[in-house]
Amino acid sequence: MSGVLVVAEARRGELRDVSLELIGAARSLGGPLSVAVIDHDPSRYRDRLSVEGVDAVLAVATPNEHFEPHVAARALEGLIASEQPDVVVLGHTIDSLGFAPAVAARGGHGFASDVTRVSGGADSLVVGRSAYGGKLEAELDFPGKDTVLLLLRAGAFEPAGGSGSPEWRDVQVELGEPRSEHVDFREAATGDVDITKADFLLSVGRGIEDKDNLEQFEGLADKMGAILSVSRPLVDAGWVTNARQVGQSGKTVKPKVYLALGISGAVQHLAGMRGADTIIAVNTDPEAPIFSVAHYGAVADLFDVADQLEQQSG
Amino acid sequence: MARDPKYDILFEPIQLGPKTLKNRFYQVPHCIGAGSEKPGMQAYHRGIKAEGGWGACCTEYCSIHPESDDTSRVSARIWDEGDVRNLKAMTDRLHHFGALAGIELWYGGPHAPCMESRATPRGPSQIPSDFELNIHPRYMDKDDINEVQQMYVDAALRARDAGFDIVYVYGAHAYLPFQFLSPFYNRRTDEYGGSFENRARFWKESLEKVREAVGDDCAIASRFAVDHLLGATSIQVGEDGVRFVEYVDDLVDLWDLTVGDIAEWGQNAGPSRFFEENHEKPFTGQVKAGNHTNKPVVGVGRVTNPDTMVAIIQSGQFDIIGAARPSISDPFLPKKIEEGRPEDIRECIGCNQCISRWEIGGPPMVCTQNATAGEEYRRGWHPENYSKAGNADKGVLVVGAGPAGMECAMVLGKRQMSAVHLVETDSDIGGCVNWISKLGHSDGKENLFRGTARGLGEWARIVNYRQVQLHKLKNVEVHLNSRLSAADVLEYGAEIVVIATGCHFATDGLNAATHAPIPGADTSLDWQLTPDEVVLGDKQIGQRVLVLENEGYYMGATIAQKLAGEGKDVTLVTQAADVAGYMHYTLEAPMLHRDLHRLNVDIRTYTMVDSIEPGAVSLYNVWDDRHKDKVEVDSVVLCTQRLSNDSLYRELKADPAALEREGIEAVYLIGDAQAPRMIVDSVFDGHRLAREIDSPNPAMPLPFIRERRLWGDTGNGDFESQLLAPSDMVTA
Amino acid sequence: MKVVVPVKQVAVVDEDFELADDGTAVDPDFLEWSLNEWDEFSVEAALQLAGDDGEVVVVTVGDDEATEGLLTCLAKGAGRGIRVWEQSLTSADALAVARVLAAVVERESPDLVLCGVQSSDAVNSATGIGLAGFLDLPHVAVARAISGGEGSLTVERELEGGLVEVVRIGLPALLTVQTGINEPRYANLRAIKQAREKPLEVLDLAGLGLSGDDVAGASGGRLRKLAVPEAGEGAEMLTGSAAEVATRIREIVQDRLSA
Repeated sequence: MSGVLVVAEARRGELRDVSLELIGAARSLGGPLSVAVIDHDPSRYRDRLSVEGVDAVLAVATPNEHFEPHVAARALEGLIASEQPDVVVLGHTIDSLGFAPAVAARGGHGFASDVTRVSGGADSLVVGRSAYGGKLEAELDFPGKDTVLLLLRAGAFEPAGGSGSPEWRDVQVELGEPRSEHVDFREAATGDVDITKADFLLSVGRGIEDKDNLEQFEGLADKMGAILSVSRPLVDAGWVTNARQVGQSGKTVKPKVYLALGISGAVQHLAGMRGADTIIAVNTDPEAPIFSVAHYGAVADLFDVADQLEQQSG
Repeated sequence: MARDPKYDILFEPIQLGPKTLKNRFYQVPHCIGAGSEKPGMQAYHRGIKAEGGWGACCTEYCSIHPESDDTSRVSARIWDEGDVRNLKAMTDRLHHFGALAGIELWYGGPHAPCMESRATPRGPSQIPSDFELNIHPRYMDKDDINEVQQMYVDAALRARDAGFDIVYVYGAHAYLPFQFLSPFYNRRTDEYGGSFENRARFWKESLEKVREAVGDDCAIASRFAVDHLLGATSIQVGEDGVRFVEYVDDLVDLWDLTVGDIAEWGQNAGPSRFFEENHEKPFTGQVKAGNHTNKPVVGVGRVTNPDTMVAIIQSGQFDIIGAARPSISDPFLPKKIEEGRPEDIRECIGCNQCISRWEIGGPPMVCTQNATAGEEYRRGWHPENYSKAGNADKGVLVVGAGPAGMECAMVLGKRQMSAVHLVETDSDIGGCVNWISKLGHSDGKENLFRGTARGLGEWARIVNYRQVQLHKLKNVEVHLNSRLSAADVLEYGAEIVVIATGCHFATDGLNAATHAPIPGADTSLDWQLTPDEVVLGDKQIGQRVLVLENEGYYMGATIAQKLAGEGKDVTLVTQAADVAGYMHYTLEAPMLHRDLHRLNVDIRTYTMVDSIEPGAVSLYNVWDDRHKDKVEVDSVVLCTQRLSNDSLYRELKADPAALEREGIEAVYLIGDAQAPRMIVDSVFDGHRLAREIDSPNPAMPLPFIRERRLWGDTGNGDFESQLLAPSDMVTA
Repeated sequence: MKVVVPVKQVAVVDEDFELADDGTAVDPDFLEWSLNEWDEFSVEAALQLAGDDGEVVVVTVGDDEATEGLLTCLAKGAGRGIRVWEQSLTSADALAVARVLAAVVERESPDLVLCGVQSSDAVNSATGIGLAGFLDLPHVAVARAISGGEGSLTVERELEGGLVEVVRIGLPALLTVQTGINEPRYANLRAIKQAREKPLEVLDLAGLGLSGDDVAGASGGRLRKLAVPEAGEGAEMLTGSAAEVATRIREIVQDRLSA
């Protein structure tokens, strides 16, 4: 067999959304497409994985209830041996990073992580990823590699949709023993505000106009699961401490999401946040410099949008 | 690196009469404490800005005659040939760097007390100055008017001889021409008073005469306060303001617009505590917006951000960016924009320390952000050039990253010391600035006569600038969250140790007034606080608070503002004639008082605390302690005096054998740790030590040039020999 | 405990830069070098676990520029440093580097290998676990806390969305360490001076019993070219009512944060 093998990802009984993005990306490569589910009870994901374009679901049942990297590695190695895919597609996620590189190393396979573009076909693969801390883009290929493992960046590919009826196969693989032991899950405690550690920053600037409006945005940040940060003018005016200031003379942040409301994008501010993975900017001025670094923008009244975000966040 | 094209507009030349201004960066007239009698300081302070790219630099207000004498406040003077010669040093230096030189011809009238010349100032009507209350002017009849106008002409001719390119007839800050224009000062019933044209006549004639005398060679500028901010009793921008601009527009090559007067100068030289960037726009912006002029306009507003500058010009608000304080804070602001490194701009914090020294009368200018301001000539300090230290092979440990420590480490880094470690106990650099910048309330809404209460957020720029610079210096490492004991310092491996450990507030009420602790004062109790605890601590502050301030600067009053702004009932007590006396010099007092009154703070002056007990504070009048009072309180904040944190230094100094054994060649003590002082002076202290780290005895400041004439000196030999080419300065 | 800590001297690119002739690297004139931020944390974790009785060995695959980074680690308290380099390693990717590191680790036989989760320049997040694969060592990725030490460790893994998983693992093992796991110590001037006196071995591949082919074969892929990302294309503009914009924003946010 050849074609593409997608490794779906699940945690605590829920299929993670990235799995559908992986399938979407895999489809673009053409050829047979199988999805591996390595889990204590693979059948619980059957419905969600029955999307258009999936030819087969290969279920590997593990004795361990939770993800264990060595078991996952052995499972994948077994599947690679039996299915001989040209390409194995995983998410660039914490779990996958915990075992996929080991599999690639041991098997001498092709490997690329944090991939944002794929092209070619399953057997003439070319991928794109960033380089030099995001300043450049690199293009890679894999001459001489029968199997290539790719870890795709979450959110970079369109998720697959539609419905299909893939073949379901329970696959037996020699899994060996786990080499680590799950003890517990818990929520991380949040300490003092450190905006540089936040995954999601909701950032406000002069556009909020009045100090009294800060409270509304603090509440919105809370509701959306973001940490509130600000641009310089609010610190200058004494409304907020500079612990929350993003910018050249404040903090440099690289969150997954930077949502800027009412920030025009002075050069000193941009210097502090342009490294964010995804920048969304809302400003009433279509010429606002922040739009030149944002990935998504809206020329809109930030209070209207904020009200809507508040309502929709329930 | 290259200039960002969006700043190109700031570098476009513009014509001012017969002169070409090479870019839009214009240093408007401002005081520095140099005048014509410290020509070195004058020439080198203005010159450093020209070197830094400013297209024009002006003198401070320049007296045209001994009748305009503001002693002990320092003005420039152009009374005679000697002044011409001295001011030529300035114009030569400006021209060397391609900048235009401006002179602000000034006749003060009754605002200038003439305490040196002992002359009598003249004025349009015999109303005493609202600034110098006891000074009455001599009434000007027609002969007086001609005489004074001739003074302007003679001064203009001397100005041309001295090499000035731009000659002002100065009518802002309520000086003479404005006194004629404004009915607040002018009650005349002749052709120089009454109607608009009559009131404008003096100024118009003065412009005509000056233009006739030098207008072919020099650009004629006029500085005009378009709105006196006193409503209909004086000039309002929408009425006589724009009307006057139109009326004499043909006579002027450059309009320099402001607001307000000298009695409340803080409305124009607005401190950041109460005024935001570009705060004069609603007034001065009306002139171009309403198409009232065909001539170039320069205006101010403590504009420090290059993006704001671009917006001001693109929107048509002004043609030229005027700056006084931003040019003091960073003489190289234009160059830094041109060289594509706006992040290196040292932004003005609006503390008005520079102004305060002029207000006090006599001392040279200072600047919290720029320790070289005023020192360019007398100590040879260049704000951007730093010579490699003679002992650069030594490693330095700086303990404490407050204003003094940050500045010292930064300058040592720029002087290429082989390794500088700046170690700080806190999780961030900045020292006291970190909590001080959080002081003051900022409801931002209520109009305090044009200003709003903004707090001290902009003071955080002290840290911002140094943070960026320290980060860029490869030979400087900053280590946070690290408390060093004497043993750690001995072990550190540095040959030079600088202790910059700051200070703390007295906890027992020890104070500058009585030199003794106050019975019952004890900030270890949870209802008594020191100022820093108000910001940083966990103590609950009750509803009724008494704040005692004996230091005379902003701390006690600002704490009162903050707590009253939070809804507390605040009593503010001082033994002095006024709370926060120094804030009169920083021009913050009027707005402070408006705010304290708005917040219903109970102000007790000439009052001292006798004793403190739970729930009450006993007070007495300092003139007559029979006058007593008892105030019921829930909390007390003691802002009485500060004490150095010098125990680490004392411990190290006490064991010279250990220092020698560990190879530590010197231990220095700087900033508040040496003696509590104002932040501007801590920055200076750190800077000075680093500049002189390779002198024979760095702890003792080197002598500075005093620009004095020596007795028995027949000519100018001594003076010329004092003109310097100090190692850190660029040679002309 | 003996701990080996692979470290990396990472490249920081100047604002203005040019590519080297073949288009597969930035011209070194425009690069500045510093120790990878993650390695500050892994070195600190190693020093804490090894304690006064243990040994911490730092190893890097890099040219002369990497010596500075090793000296920083030695100044902090690592006992010994190893630098592996030869020309053929210039384009070594994460797995190729891991192959070289594996040879060093085999030689050292430590109780624990601590790697940073990723490097700030290449951001592959693969060298550590790849190394574990070559060594067939038990491994845990993205540790935010480590405790224990007598033969086994309790490790907290940082998962997406603020979730934490606690796992136990026996020694010898390899962990990749996340920033913020500890408060890295710094070296005073004395330690910086003394670092130069600590052993620092420089090896080539032959010195490790490896051939160029061994390493090349381990590589994961081939870099065809580098390009500057298309700048100033501007944002994808979201249109419609405030409600529609808000909905779209929430979708994007959810997308990027999950998975």
